[in-house]
Amino acid sequence: MSKATTKPNQETATPEPRPVFEPGELVADTYEIRAMLGAGGMGEVYEAHDRVLNRRVALKVVRPSIAADYLLREGRALAAIHHPGVVAVHTMGAHRGVSFLVLERVHGLSLDRMIDDRRARGERFAAAEAVELLIDIADALAVVHRAGLSHRDVKPGNVMLAPGRRVVLMDFGLVLPHADRAGHRSVAGSLQYMAPEALTGDMAEGAAHLGDVYALGVLGFELLTAITPFDGEEPVEIYRGKIRAPLPRVKTHRPDVPGPLDDLIAQMMAPDAHDRPQGAEAAVWQLRALRARVGSGGEARSFSVLVVDDDADMREALTLYVRAAAPDAEIEMTSDGRQAVRSVRRRVPDLLLLDLDLPDINGIEVCMLLRGMQLGDACMIVSVSGRATRADVELLQQLGVRSLEKGPGLMTELVDLVQRMRPTRS
Amino acid sequence: MTGARDPAIDALLAAARMQFAGSLPAKTADVEALVAGGAWAEARRAAHKLRGSAGTYGFAALGAAAGAIEDTILEGNDGPDAEARSRIARRLEEMRVEADRAAREAR
Repeated sequence: MSKATTKPNQETATPEPRPVFEPGELVADTYEIRAMLGAGGMGEVYEAHDRVLNRRVALKVVRPSIAADYLLREGRALAAIHHPGVVAVHTMGAHRGVSFLVLERVHGLSLDRMIDDRRARGERFAAAEAVELLIDIADALAVVHRAGLSHRDVKPGNVMLAPGRRVVLMDFGLVLPHADRAGHRSVAGSLQYMAPEALTGDMAEGAAHLGDVYALGVLGFELLTAITPFDGEEPVEIYRGKIRAPLPRVKTHRPDVPGPLDDLIAQMMAPDAHDRPQGAEAAVWQLRALRARVGSGGEARSFSVLVVDDDADMREALTLYVRAAAPDAEIEMTSDGRQAVRSVRRRVPDLLLLDLDLPDINGIEVCMLLRGMQLGDACMIVSVSGRATRADVELLQQLGVRSLEKGPGLMTELVDLVQRMRPTRS
Repeated sequence: MTGARDPAIDALLAAARMQFAGSLPAKTADVEALVAGGAWAEARRAAHKLRGSAGTYGFAALGAAAGAIEDTILEGNDGPDAEARSRIARRLEEMRVEADRAAREAR
């Protein structure tokens, strides 16, 4: 949910309302509320345990002051889209007269948090890294646009980086069909990322989706510079910044960024929608063409794996299986759980292969520690065990951890998993 | 599995399996010594490791026997009783046979 968001019907002067659901509450006889994941002007998102299917889900509700059809519109939009880059919807329901959406629980870090973390360390995204992220976001947006929809709230806080380098577009609360002219005239979104025409409600026919391309440009600017391009506290100041020449350029803050990438970001942020790439798909192709210019070798991270097992023979087997699928993977090994937590704290790997039966703290405790500290959210954790019980596997499943069994089939499963996780450079 | 694998990796995998096979008699003897000494916690850990690694390297029968030993040790709170010890002894014998067979193949 947005921090500085202008959304329709939003009550700004009223005090913070009470949460709709309480931890422990059983919603619709199925979803046990565990925690609130986020709250914003529009509503709240909770983490819940689906008792029937034994999985974690996210429950989204909107505040009573918001028209209930927002949730229905979001649910229907998500149901029309099936793509790994878009959060999945499971179902919709009602409890105590409150409508809710049941969504996929995406474990991961939001892009705004990653930008904040890097800013705090005095770091910024490398050009190659930013291009890969923008390609994934634009790819997901292209699918949304092909479904005849505009997201209308693309910003770092609505993009999650999930395990396996999966980039997921979230929060479709403002989604609208391209054809909904009246809807597009209502001013809604996050100021910094809204196109000038979205701020004035003056959207040209057939150009609704180009507001998302604009937001993608602002997001790209922020990734590369760690600042937002338009200063100002008031909407009118920000609006003027968006239409006043010269427009902010990435290169002013990052002289090392290749010119064509700076040009493309500026083109996406063009005040006139007709001057932008004419859709997310066009942006994807332009970004892909830039890959070679920004370099993918030196700047992009390699695939990293942490192997945790107290048995040296298993460590060797697991290392060889990973190498069979990813010869250039960076593999670190350790034999105990505490060291594994320290290692993840130092650097979050793409994949953590974790034995459950460890001598000091066991693998399940390691998973709980990592999830509790939100350390392992951006990495895929896979437990590898010789005697995991059904209860162990169910608990791990709730923690978002996949389980593999030691045995003759392990190699095939692990090689297949790593091959699917490795970033493609096509 | 998809795509062709690097032949060098296949060679490394084969070498690792052979090396592991060659080490099985010594690993089995370790479990046996721990059982004989009544060091049940250590025996369980050693059996547990073999359960996972032997199964993974393709020595299923040995892994299953090691797993049965681990499960039997876990059944008793104060260490295995006489009946359980005799089951462990039978499983150890199976492990010895399988370990020797694997080591012969490796030579």
